[in-house]
Amino acid sequence: MRVFHNLNVDFLGKRKFFYMFSLALFLIGLLNVVFRGLSFGIDFKGGSEIVLQFEKQIDITQVRGNIENIGLGNVEVRTFGGETGALIRTELQELPKDVYPRVVKNVEDEIKSIIPNVAFNVVEKTSTSITYSFPNPDTTNLVSERLLAAGFQSGKVSEEPDNTQIDVSVGISEWIKENLREKITGNSFRVIKEDRVGPKVGDELKRDAVIAVFLSLLVILIYLGFRFKFVFAIGAVAALFHDVLITLGLYAALYGVIPGLNLDIDLSVVAAFLTLVGYSINDTVIVFDRVRENMKIHKTLPLMEIINKSINQTMSRTIITAFTTLISVFVLLLLGGDVLRAFAFTLFFGIIIGTYSSIFVASAFVLEYAEKTKKKVQFS
Amino acid sequence: MKEYRFKIILILAFTALSIYLLYPTFQDYQNNKSLTATLEATRDKVQKLNPDLSKDQVEKLVTLVEDSIKIADPSILDARKKRVKLGLDLQGGMRVVLEVNTGKLLEKIANNPDDVFKKVLAEAQKEALKTDESVVDILGRKFLERNIRLSRYYGTIRQDDAEIMDELTKSSEDAVNRAMEIIRNRVDQYGVSEPSISRQGSRRIIVELPGVAKEEEAKQLLQGTALLEFRLVKDAELTYPIMQRIDDVLAKRTESGVKDSLGNDVASLDTTTKKTDTTSLTDSTSQLSEDEQRAKFQVEHPFFTAAVLNPQSPFADAYVSKDDRNKIEYWLGLPEVQKVIPDNVEFVFSAKPFTSEDGKQIFVMYMVNKTPELTGGVVTDAQATIDQTTSTPIVNMEMNSEGATDWARITGANVGKRIAIMLDGVVFTAPNVKGKIPGGRSQIEGSESMEEAKLLEIVLKAGALPAPVDVIEERIVGPSLGQDSISSGFSSAMIGYILVGLFMIIYYRQAGTISALTLVLVILFILGILAGFGATLTLPGIAGIVLTIGMAVDANVLIFERIREEMATGKTMKASIDSGFSRAYSAIIDSNITTFFTGIILYQFGTGPIQGFALTLMIGIAATLFGALVISRLVLDVLVSRGVKISVG
Repeated sequence: MRVFHNLNVDFLGKRKFFYMFSLALFLIGLLNVVFRGLSFGIDFKGGSEIVLQFEKQIDITQVRGNIENIGLGNVEVRTFGGETGALIRTELQELPKDVYPRVVKNVEDEIKSIIPNVAFNVVEKTSTSITYSFPNPDTTNLVSERLLAAGFQSGKVSEEPDNTQIDVSVGISEWIKENLREKITGNSFRVIKEDRVGPKVGDELKRDAVIAVFLSLLVILIYLGFRFKFVFAIGAVAALFHDVLITLGLYAALYGVIPGLNLDIDLSVVAAFLTLVGYSINDTVIVFDRVRENMKIHKTLPLMEIINKSINQTMSRTIITAFTTLISVFVLLLLGGDVLRAFAFTLFFGIIIGTYSSIFVASAFVLEYAEKTKKKVQFS
Repeated sequence: MKEYRFKIILILAFTALSIYLLYPTFQDYQNNKSLTATLEATRDKVQKLNPDLSKDQVEKLVTLVEDSIKIADPSILDARKKRVKLGLDLQGGMRVVLEVNTGKLLEKIANNPDDVFKKVLAEAQKEALKTDESVVDILGRKFLERNIRLSRYYGTIRQDDAEIMDELTKSSEDAVNRAMEIIRNRVDQYGVSEPSISRQGSRRIIVELPGVAKEEEAKQLLQGTALLEFRLVKDAELTYPIMQRIDDVLAKRTESGVKDSLGNDVASLDTTTKKTDTTSLTDSTSQLSEDEQRAKFQVEHPFFTAAVLNPQSPFADAYVSKDDRNKIEYWLGLPEVQKVIPDNVEFVFSAKPFTSEDGKQIFVMYMVNKTPELTGGVVTDAQATIDQTTSTPIVNMEMNSEGATDWARITGANVGKRIAIMLDGVVFTAPNVKGKIPGGRSQIEGSESMEEAKLLEIVLKAGALPAPVDVIEERIVGPSLGQDSISSGFSSAMIGYILVGLFMIIYYRQAGTISALTLVLVILFILGILAGFGATLTLPGIAGIVLTIGMAVDANVLIFERIREEMATGKTMKASIDSGFSRAYSAIIDSNITTFFTGIILYQFGTGPIQGFALTLMIGIAATLFGALVISRLVLDVLVSRGVKISVG
């Protein structure tokens, strides 16, 4: 069986058309990025994310309804995995001011129910924890243990035997869990995943991710510069840029459009982008490798014809290599589960665009450069 | 055939090695299955026999049975150690990034923090959130701006600002070490298997606790406060009789038979193990009688079998092997045993085990007073140094005036006795009191190395100064989600392989079949290398393997396409294969090296799961190249040289 056998198409002659096509894709992406924005996961934005597994099937609108009015503002709620899972996410790092007193009251009610009429003082209140002091160490220990058992995140301030203070955390996730426990009765849940990322960490990760992507482009530029002429390296990296930007644009365009497809940019998506950079260069290298070979064989042929010939000759393998990889990525997209979906999605569309650009963009760029400088492009 | 011999041996060797490296993983999987079943059965049985036992107690008993099964069959632990490690996202557990709260620490160690100080500190903390500058530096700058000398709050009046700044920077760095040691100590005692506690940058600590999903409990481990105590170790004359009484109680308990189902289970399990040992290992009669004696001793003195005393030692410190520790703790908690232990003493263990001559991990068990003589709040400083005269490592400890007075009285009254230095309930060292120590300056000898002395220094400081930590990142994965991820990853890999393999066979016929079969070896090699390097498999790592399945055949595609081209020019099969491989070579190498580079960068940039992906990606590339350039090539060459007609479709 053969595909694209003995192909003879003048790809470069139609390069203006492909420029327009790429530009259009890029602009669509750009407009979407600007107007719709990219949706970052909590890895980069900071925030809290809880995934709950309910015992029985759960109506996600019920969960959403219960969470909407607990004062956390915009909270994202959606199904996770099957029909018993719910993912709850908020960008908030700490409890909003108007909710805070309600949470405090909750804690203090619980303390009062443990030991009625106990005298306690608030030593310190921060946005994430409250420190209480009690009359004697025994009461302190008792309250700390019982609070913990009741689902509050409490702990003694010090382990000294005469310690009379306890710390109670009042975080977002505690507040969400507490409310759901109270309101959804008859269907208990377990927390199967909980992520919390501080804002500083998020910023650092974002910076690292951008550095990593640029660094890999740079490394590829240098390596290809060694192996081919520099202009080819630039052509290849320009094509990579093109792939990354268009895929990113696609992200913005499709975010929230396909139900059940979570397109938040998180760490695994960055990993997918880096893999894309490393993989999408492969097809370009195959074409360039053939150009290099053809330049040696047909010394007198003009560059445009050599490149055209090379693209035609390598077309079948370019398509097939991309196809086999797409098969496995597609399987991952379908069966890999919620955690890997965005990762697989990025690779799936990235590889399609990467293959397109290896054929139509990278070589065209080399030709463009050669014609502009009127130089004879040569290998070594 | 001779020319191929080396390659064939190489491939067979790699295959055998991979299988050898992966066997423990398979074994561990089998072990886990049977172990879970046994424990489940035990749990049911215990609950049925003793319905009034609390959940905690039942779990304790089940752990004991688990321990005894593991001791009986050391291969279980061995397989566990050598299996492919699973990341937190696959086996469940929590990963927490902690940051030492320098602001809180600075406030704690300030001499007399007034309102001005608090205000400046608050400003400094706010600013530190935005910049990379440390809180100490910002605070120093702010005080300078206000013309306030740092000595007003820190150090002594004679010190200049630069000196104090150095000290503050050092103490904030110390706080990280302290927090790490406090947490490590707790995690060790809590019994998490394969915990990882590492330092990131200057102020961060990454704690990874596989298998811990009880968030509330785990969080208790991650606090920067700890209790340091000085407790009197009881003399042998007092300790030994109590141990004897415990031994008697336990011996009677086994004699009289069932008290609770499980103590019995443990005992019977122990004896059966020992019995199989004797039958398999010895056949001479004289030794058998020795073994019989041992078995007899075991029945008559269960306690002293597990808690071994050194008859030559003046102390009654018992040596307890790590395997027996849970059992001893369970025994000590039994009500009838509790009855014979006086109220004012308790048995405690050393913080870290030492390794005995036969390679066992041994804890030392001490009997100490329940009430501490002093607690850590009185320690003001500790410093590990080398003693000038003996050139051995020592630790100098200083106490505040209040502590010093007590310390002088305590040491004076207990000359010749030992005082255990305990952090969070475990003993770090139990030095002998040589004489009354007035003035609060003590010197602690007996550290075997400088590291040990340094550790003691940190422990002593930990009691006095908390190391306030904030959780800045936290990821918890429940075990069920991990299990789902494994199975979905596994089925993706299988289906991916079948589809890609089918495509290759249909498109390239015999040649495609060869590459599809090679792919099996490639995957085997990837897993083998992962196991061999002790690398961690994560969910993105599995994704990396699935991806590799799709990418691995790329090299074959390039080669086969080239061979087709060469054949089209009229070359023979053999010549086409030769030039097909050699001409496809450069494109294959170039494209794989670039992917490999991004793998390296990804590994550098990523954390946990992402690193797992980068790793499988890189290993996958290496295995792929070997598969395409060596294995497929060899098979093709051998077949062609035998005159088999190969179709490349």
